Amino acid sequence: MNAPDRYERFVVPEGTKKVSYERDTKIINAASFTVEREDHTIGNILRMQLHRDPNVLFAGYKLPHPLQYKIIVRIHTASQSSPMQAYNQAINDLDKELDHLKNAFEIELAKHSREY
Amino acid sequence: MDGGVTYQRFPKLKIREMRDDVVKFELRETDASMANALRRVMIAEVPTVAIDLVEIEVNSTVLNDEFIAHRLGLIPLTSDRAMSMRFSRDCDACDGDGQCEFCSVEFHLRAKCLTDQTLDVTSKDLYSSDHTVVPVDFSDPNEPGEQRGIIIVKLRRGQELRLRAIARKGIGKDHAKWSPAATVTFMYEPMIRINEDLMENLSLEDKRSWVESSPTKVFDIDPVTQQVVVVDPEAYTYDDEVIKKAEAMGKPGLVEIEAKEDSFIFTVESTGAVKASQLVLNAIEILKQKLDAVRLSDDTVEADDQFGELGAHMRGG
Repeated sequence: MNAPDRYERFVVPEGTKKVSYERDTKIINAASFTVEREDHTIGNILRMQLHRDPNVLFAGYKLPHPLQYKIIVRIHTASQSSPMQAYNQAINDLDKELDHLKNAFEIELAKHSREY
Repeated sequence: MDGGVTYQRFPKLKIREMRDDVVKFELRETDASMANALRRVMIAEVPTVAIDLVEIEVNSTVLNDEFIAHRLGLIPLTSDRAMSMRFSRDCDACDGDGQCEFCSVEFHLRAKCLTDQTLDVTSKDLYSSDHTVVPVDFSDPNEPGEQRGIIIVKLRRGQELRLRAIARKGIGKDHAKWSPAATVTFMYEPMIRINEDLMENLSLEDKRSWVESSPTKVFDIDPVTQQVVVVDPEAYTYDDEVIKKAEAMGKPGLVEIEAKEDSFIFTVESTGAVKASQLVLNAIEILKQKLDAVRLSDDTVEADDQFGELGAHMRGG
């Protein structure tokens, strides 16, 4: 009856930003990124990739509520870096990892197709 | 900003087995978050085409209209074109009413039973306006004569079904009918180490009962040397039965089993909408697009730069 529309889960409403950024008012080099219409898929890979960065002191994400279709990624870095820099770095590294994976899969695919 | 530092990984990938509908591969040197993201994307975010709107002209069958509409939606349609199609909600050409070639495919079905024999209405009776989007063909190449469409409804003499259906692009997150995956699973590769010294001290009988304690056939006894050997580590289901058995026999540490945290064995089964191998490639592509979408926009960065200067003054003061 009053269930939200199914598309609400993945369509960013007009006038809303996909990613918004909010600095922590009390701690330097700490910030929260609110990512609209994303879930554990993005949240968890970002978090794990951020953990690989030695400048990142804390990285975590939460899905505040199953019917609020957003995640909050919180990053705290050392002074050499900044949350924004770490966030961009994590996305770039994951992007490159996926490029590599795509290549690797295509090479394997070509090998296997030849065997037939 | 980027001083050339990178924490990128270079995962290794090996395809073990490949058929049109199933692919098995090993993924190594990455972590569970990447494996799980791929799995989640394959199930819920790789687009396919499925019937989404049905206009029934005549329905005198035993099934009601919405029942038939639901069944039509669940029929897998060949969706190799889905990645390049538009979602009808952001299709400019037709305002999302699903009448244009960029975002929709029209189907027609006409069936009437005129004999005393029951007539099966199957997915083969659906006529598509686009030859690239048709119901998936499940016929066995070894038995070419046999028709194996998906049964939609059965008709008796005099009953008729006539309808028009529109198929649209969608994702599994919206409705499971759009999911291209039948099952996608991954398991950690197990590392099984038998303590040979302890094992040597067991009698053949004990060895046998220990080997038998595993519900799946992971271990066996070499008929020549009578030593316990691991025959299929991947049959292990992490059930701990052999470990409990070893303890019960008073031999704790007889075997050590751990999950290798960076090695995954994937099994991808497709519904037939796209080939299993293509499904994996599409999932990688979609995940890349998703990551691109969550990049910070320039205005966010700018707004923060100004704030950052202000903050620096405040901190520096």
